[in-house]
Amino acid sequence: MPVVLTVDPRSGVPIYLQVIEQIKRSVALGILGTGEQLPTVKQLALDLTINPNTVAKAYRELERDGVIDTAPGRGSFVKSNGAADSTKAAARDVARDVVDAAVREAKSIGLKADDVQALVTESIDRWFTEQP
Amino acid sequence: MSIVTISHLRKTYGPYTAVNDLSIDVPEGCVFGLLGPNGAGKTTTFKCMLGLARPTSGSIAYDGQPLTPAKFDTIAYVPERSVLYDWMTVAEHVEMQRRAYASFEVKHAHELLAQFNIDPRKKTRALSKGMRTATMVALAIARKADLLILDEPTSGLDPINQRHVLNLIINESARGATVIFSSHQIGQVERAAERIAVIDRGNLALEGAVDDLKAGRKIVEAIFPSEALSLNGISRDGRILRVDRSGRIVRLLVSNDSAEFVAKLEALGGTGVRIVDLNLEDIFLYAVAPQETTADVVEGAIK
Repeated sequence: MPVVLTVDPRSGVPIYLQVIEQIKRSVALGILGTGEQLPTVKQLALDLTINPNTVAKAYRELERDGVIDTAPGRGSFVKSNGAADSTKAAARDVARDVVDAAVREAKSIGLKADDVQALVTESIDRWFTEQP
Repeated sequence: MSIVTISHLRKTYGPYTAVNDLSIDVPEGCVFGLLGPNGAGKTTTFKCMLGLARPTSGSIAYDGQPLTPAKFDTIAYVPERSVLYDWMTVAEHVEMQRRAYASFEVKHAHELLAQFNIDPRKKTRALSKGMRTATMVALAIARKADLLILDEPTSGLDPINQRHVLNLIINESARGATVIFSSHQIGQVERAAERIAVIDRGNLALEGAVDDLKAGRKIVEAIFPSEALSLNGISRDGRILRVDRSGRIVRLLVSNDSAEFVAKLEALGGTGVRIVDLNLEDIFLYAVAPQETTADVVEGAIK
């Protein structure tokens, strides 16, 4: 599999969440294609030097979120049924976390809901102008 | 299910208390990291687990039973200090292990030694400190033990070999073995361990799953309009482990539900409220921080 995941164990974000986020991002970007096989739990644990149960936990949550399918004895694959949906969901999950953190930060430094709304609209206008 | 249960372990040496009152459960198949400052009681705990030191009181049970010779043979131990015989070659140590343990795999041992670039023809006195550690780790891994107890298994090793030892630990875990290891390198524990315990002055300071500790423990920080603030007794909340104040800034160390404390601090007039993630080193340092100072700050904050 072409995806190179990296984890930062010194970060305050639990490692399994880092793995989930990066796999979702890879799916959203199409780096991980429909039906593509993920490394085995043991292989990814050794590649990243992280606990195998941490990888297993990430895979379980990815399965629950509809991003991957795990066939016992065969391995884990990017979901092929409704792949478009899971890709979209994965992209939305990644983006939601980023937007959420930004809004929380804006609120914490004293902005009101209207101000934040205006900023978001402004940002959308800036980045989506070339869209038909 | 727990493979090892330590209950109220106490070990004193004359007037010196090495372990005061320690209770830990280690689940089967888990990689368990034991952390603590120097002299916290980690090595004494390992020795008691292995029957190499007799507990003053308390008990250690394996699958609910006391340690038996048969059980002892399924445990591989790497002590903190080298127990290799200076006058023997590495290959002779391999041979000695083969005779001692039926499950010992000679071929695997030589593969592991080669991975560390250790020449088995060398006498162990010719090995550096790190290479002695690596030799002991290789001999322990080749045992195919059910439980590995590794006291500082990366000490003296360069970063590449440290990483290799961690991967060996991960590999052991993936085949179903339980690994308990201590290390001063918190980053290594953060990578390899699923659960950790922090021992401080012979007592358990903290225990839990690394992911849960990181997900739960946060600093919630807020700025208040005046230094004369009242926290309305929220610092009596059991989930608040510590309160630090400097001027108008208040920092709460919470064990869980950080979002709830954001709301509480905002309701009290706090602004710029933010949640700060903690890594394992921060969590460790807070766990072993002197409690007296914490109590003073809490007292000041409650008003």
